[in-house]
Amino acid sequence: MISLRTRAVVAGIIWASFAILIGVFGLARYLENQTQSQFNEQLLDRHLLVAIEVANYADTPDRIAQAIANPVYLRPMSGQYWQVTRPDGMVYVSPSLGDARLPDADPGNQGIQIVNFVGPRGDMVRGVEERITLEDGSVWTVQVASSLLALTEDRARLRNNLAVAFGLIAVIGIISAFLQVTATLRPLNALRRDVLTRWNTEGNLEPDGYPLEVAPLVNDINTLIERNRGIVSRSRRQAADLAHAIKTPAAIVRNELESLRSGGQPVQRAIDALDRLDAQLKRSFARMRADGGNAAVQTFTDLDTSLGRLLRAFRSMAQNENKRLEIDLPKGLRVRMDQADFEEVMGNLIDNAMKWSQSQISITVKKRDSAVEIKIQDDGPGIPEDAYEMATLSGQRLDTSKPGTGLGLAIAADLAHAYGGKVSLSVSDRLGGLAATVHLKTSGL
Amino acid sequence: MRILVAEDELVLAQQIKSVLSSEGRVVDLTHDGSEAQFLGETEPYDVIILDIGLPQRDGITILKSLRAKKVTTPVLILSARDGWSDRVDGLDAGADDYLTKPFHMPELSARVRAMIRRKSGQTDPVFRKESIVFDTRSNQVTVDGIPTSLTAQEVAVLSYLFHNAGRLVSRTELSEHIYEYDGDRDSNTIAVFVNRLRKKLGNELIETVRGRGYVIKTAA
Repeated sequence: MISLRTRAVVAGIIWASFAILIGVFGLARYLENQTQSQFNEQLLDRHLLVAIEVANYADTPDRIAQAIANPVYLRPMSGQYWQVTRPDGMVYVSPSLGDARLPDADPGNQGIQIVNFVGPRGDMVRGVEERITLEDGSVWTVQVASSLLALTEDRARLRNNLAVAFGLIAVIGIISAFLQVTATLRPLNALRRDVLTRWNTEGNLEPDGYPLEVAPLVNDINTLIERNRGIVSRSRRQAADLAHAIKTPAAIVRNELESLRSGGQPVQRAIDALDRLDAQLKRSFARMRADGGNAAVQTFTDLDTSLGRLLRAFRSMAQNENKRLEIDLPKGLRVRMDQADFEEVMGNLIDNAMKWSQSQISITVKKRDSAVEIKIQDDGPGIPEDAYEMATLSGQRLDTSKPGTGLGLAIAADLAHAYGGKVSLSVSDRLGGLAATVHLKTSGL
Repeated sequence: MRILVAEDELVLAQQIKSVLSSEGRVVDLTHDGSEAQFLGETEPYDVIILDIGLPQRDGITILKSLRAKKVTTPVLILSARDGWSDRVDGLDAGADDYLTKPFHMPELSARVRAMIRRKSGQTDPVFRKESIVFDTRSNQVTVDGIPTSLTAQEVAVLSYLFHNAGRLVSRTELSEHIYEYDGDRDSNTIAVFVNRLRKKLGNELIETVRGRGYVIKTAA
């Protein structure tokens, strides 16, 4: 797709060029007509002046040249000429003509004639000629001519000036088109920035901050975000309802089986099957949850609040079991993750550490660029290195000596992964047991 | 020890009741939230087992309102919601423990036992007073290492007095903790149970404070 900016600028340039061309041609034509008629009027004025002097000095024609004092007629071949022909054919000319003569006027012509012809210098000149009849009845021919060279030069100068002026206008037009497009597109750029920011923060976009034309789009984006949140929370609720609907009957079946077993009935296979069923359900619900997490945009969890809440719960547990739980948590950190999901990840990992530790659990939180790294270490037996992958991927129980489904690490890994994070296992360098490190992003995907 | 089980699934509630009763607890059952809250506020339970998804009033609301009214009875939440967030919500609302469905009955028993023990400040599940040993896990009593057989009521009285060792317990208080809500409470039968216990365990263990009640004195 061609960008809006390119479209607007190209369309602007095409229209501007069209308008400028019409302007240039129209204006040039008008100005040329103006110049032409000015030239002709000037020529006619000169002709009138010469005619007046002819009338004044018809008796002493030699003085005509003296009377017409205009210096342009004095310089030889100046391009400005006059020529007067007495009724008897005697010709008087301006000194500028020298020995040259203007072509004879056509005797058949009546009134003032304007004609173009080749002048004495070889350039084109325009002449005005008229036969005037004096009071004494004598008929004189008065001719005035002016070189067209000046007119041509004027015309060229005019064209140049016009080109420069309109060129300037074109440049200004293009620059202002760019500025205008930039100004028009600014709300769209702002929207893009806002959407990006909203991705990193909670809440909706504010349509009031946008122009009338963009506001509906902002509303649509808000609706889309709302719908997305709705889908996520609905599917979670459905999963929770389903879980609830299945778990209570499962508990009843288990209790019946347990009491049958204590009565000596052979129900171990049924109990084993129920164990598998429970584990599968737990895993499936966790998966559903993780899939939901992927779609949950714009959710953030404040570590002070969330870890604080979890630690209150775990501290009392640790106290009951005589274990020490230490945490190093810098203030003000947050991660881009739904709070319930974050608590699920941390709850499972801390619970796991708590279950296996001898006496000590340590949690350290560090900020790393655009991620937060949370390391949970214990002084328990740890996991053999070749079993790390199995513990986080397959949800296998590695050791059945402690109660639990053995899914904790896998659930935590699934959920972290759904938010673009990860859980990795290693040997604890501080406590010697297992170290589970969670990487979670602090901002947009 | 008297326990309130608030669970709307009748079969499950009955199962819990029968297991706890077999361990010498007295259990009141309720299936709706309003009644659970009323009983929790008015009856002196030793433990309350509270389902979150109760009709009328949910478990978390009941728990918050109990804690707001300074009811300090240990509460174990029983819930199908197994997320850590839900657990922390429950613990934050004032629960002492949280067990998710489906659960193993022995785990429920063990947790109830531990809650009762913690409330009395006891860490060891076994109580000892001179030659008498009372194991709360099996309700087994031995005198000089020889097992003694006790009836359920006798165990209930002994257990309550041991858990409140060092404190004078009135007959009324004792009857409140060994009889069900609608049980036939006759404080004279308490005297009968105490006499039987004395016959089986010797006269020194339980002391009578005339007109006021009974006490098992602590070693100190």
